[in-house]
Amino acid sequence: MTQIEFNCPVVNQHRLNDQFVILTLKSAAICDTAQPGQFVNLSCQEFLRRPFGIMAIDRATNEFQVGIQIKGKGTKQLAGLKIGDIVSILGPLGHGFDMTGARRIITVGGGTGVFPLYFVHQTAKELGIERIAICGYRSVEDAILRDEFKAIANRTVFASDTGGLDVIGHAGHALQIALEQLASNTIGSQPTLDQSTFILTCGPKIMMQKVAEMALANGLSCQVSLEEHMGCGIGICLVCVCKIKNHETAEINHQRCCVEGPVFAAEDVVW
Amino acid sequence: MVNTHVQIGELTLKNPVIAASGTFGFGREMQQWNNLSQIGGISSKGLTLNPRLGNDPTRVAETASGMLNSVGLQNPGLQAFIEHELPFMLGLGTTVIANIAGHSLEENVQMAMQLDQTAVHAIELNLSCPNVNKGCMAFGSSAHLIQEVVRAVRQSTTKPLWVKLTPNVTAISEMALAAESAGADAVCLINTLLGMAIDRRSRRPVLRNNTGGLSGPAVKPVALRMVWDVAKSVSIPVIGMGGIMTGEDALEFMIAGATAVQVGTANLVKPTACQDIINEMIMIATAEKITSFSQYTGTLKTW
Ligand SMILES: Cc1cc2nc3c(=O)[nH]c(=O)nc-3n(C[C@H](O)[C@H](O)[C@H](O)COP(=O)(O)OP(=O)(O)OC[C@H]3O[C@@H](n4cnc5c(N)ncnc54)[C@H](O)[C@@H]3O)c2cc1C
Ligand SMILES: Cc1cc2nc3c(=O)[nH]c(=O)nc-3n(C[C@H](O)[C@H](O)[C@H](O)COP(=O)(O)O)c2cc1C
Ligand code: FES
Repeated sequence: MTQIEFNCPVVNQHRLNDQFVILTLKSAAICDTAQPGQFVNLSCQEFLRRPFGIMAIDRATNEFQVGIQIKGKGTKQLAGLKIGDIVSILGPLGHGFDMTGARRIITVGGGTGVFPLYFVHQTAKELGIERIAICGYRSVEDAILRDEFKAIANRTVFASDTGGLDVIGHAGHALQIALEQLASNTIGSQPTLDQSTFILTCGPKIMMQKVAEMALANGLSCQVSLEEHMGCGIGICLVCVCKIKNHETAEINHQRCCVEGPVFAAEDVVW
Repeated sequence: MVNTHVQIGELTLKNPVIAASGTFGFGREMQQWNNLSQIGGISSKGLTLNPRLGNDPTRVAETASGMLNSVGLQNPGLQAFIEHELPFMLGLGTTVIANIAGHSLEENVQMAMQLDQTAVHAIELNLSCPNVNKGCMAFGSSAHLIQEVVRAVRQSTTKPLWVKLTPNVTAISEMALAAESAGADAVCLINTLLGMAIDRRSRRPVLRNNTGGLSGPAVKPVALRMVWDVAKSVSIPVIGMGGIMTGEDALEFMIAGATAVQVGTANLVKPTACQDIINEMIMIATAEKITSFSQYTGTLKTW
């Protein structure tokens, strides 16, 4: 038995603006094993737990962070936690991003999807992988984590639907520009755009679908982090399924977002 | 020391706490949190003859003190269960119950015949799933149909046969009596209550299936009343469930007339729920100087 339920103290609560909060929690066990793309299931005062991607870990202090957008009751309660409060957490859960064989990663995040992608950059940096971060926001006011990405990525592109940042439009649009530039070798340190460039994406479904199509059209490996409403987060209730194609049998299966996912190979996802 | 054993027909359970169908997978994932040899039994995810994909997501909606689900019996099919899951489950050192939910009498009979050839300890005939269009709950809401299907399944297996009832009926004790008269060894209740959740802004049901089954503490008062009703009417053991979160909840079901209980939704929010509940029951019984869990069954002192 390796029990993975922890009572974690809140060590910091940082409000980015009226919508977004970053919680820092302490758990050696979670920091020891967490992989980018994995999530934790936090209990609040509502009946079910709430899933959040792990945003960052600090192995020196055994602290990890989750970025929370306030949506309904549960996120409002979690955002209101104070330093010293104890939260029951299951995790780390699920199957994260696989960077085996990557020489360059391009992360494409939209909205809260940028949170878990920060952890991808942390890990890629440790592994010595070149890092490009593309983040899409609705507006400049929503444009969270820009300084953090600037500090950790080799190159960043920030897109906003309403302008005011690097690119006007959504993150997929920014990816297209970046891919064109990479293909003609005007950005990035590596000469070619080949199979060792991985596109890793998390955000609104429609954005991820566009990103996946673009990546696959360019012959690039692409992984997407899907979101489904969850019951347990640990694989026992089967409520969180995603439609996933088995290429050998051409069968479409329902796979659990919380165990086989949340990260899936883009070519397997039935959008 | 409390004697934790309970008797369901010819089957002895090491304690009265069984993991409910659909909330424990086939036990694999739960090994991380529990010593599964210490729980009373595990009821498998609802099985059909052929693999089933289940309904499209969204399949869950949180409610006040509970949740709705519309999984729709996603399962790998009976053959895959017998080959890949059952041997594993039988190695866990606990009582293994196969929950079957055929869409026709013939399918249920065929599954029972195949399970009869295995070492599974009991069959739980699910006549109550609210999330599939055909069969299941349709059987479960007619005493006549219950009698017919239970009799047919009874004749195709010598395994202990439990019948799981739906609460979505007017008189559940009539359904229980029908199951008993057709040869059921026990009745299990309740399955989920048919319900709905609506997103006001989009004016859409939250569940892609429009409706789903309500479970968790929200249903406990209804479940307790039904267990009490049924236990008064039948002489076979009653296995009670619906919203059990604590050892105290479990003992309330036993007092209402249940010989054993099942724990479902609690596993989702607290993976150690089954073990915690058993431990709490032992603590309470010890404090009350009760020597055997079975002494709780049917001890309700009504007004
Ligand atoms: C794998 C995964 C990772 C996630 N990572 C993050 C993250 O890093 N940061 C972040 O801000 N959000 C993240 N989310 C979304 C977050 O879980 C929801 O916003 C949150 O559960 C909403 O809870 P609520 O009580 O505020 O909203 P309500 O709408 O009141 O919630 C009602 C119910 O619906 C569920 N629900 C509502 N929206 C979602 C959603 N988008 N996805 C899944 N379930 C939902 C809730 O969990 C709850 O059970 C993630 C979701 C998943 C599945
Ligand atoms: C996600 C989920 C899936 C379920 N699947 C099944 C099933 O396959 N077969 C079945 O007989 N009951 C199924 N049930 C019903 C439970 O076994 C139980 O009867 C019901 O949830 C009430 O108990 P609870 O409140 O403790 O969960 C399911 C319940 C849930 C929450
Ligand atoms: S949330 Fe229960 S199986 Fe994924």
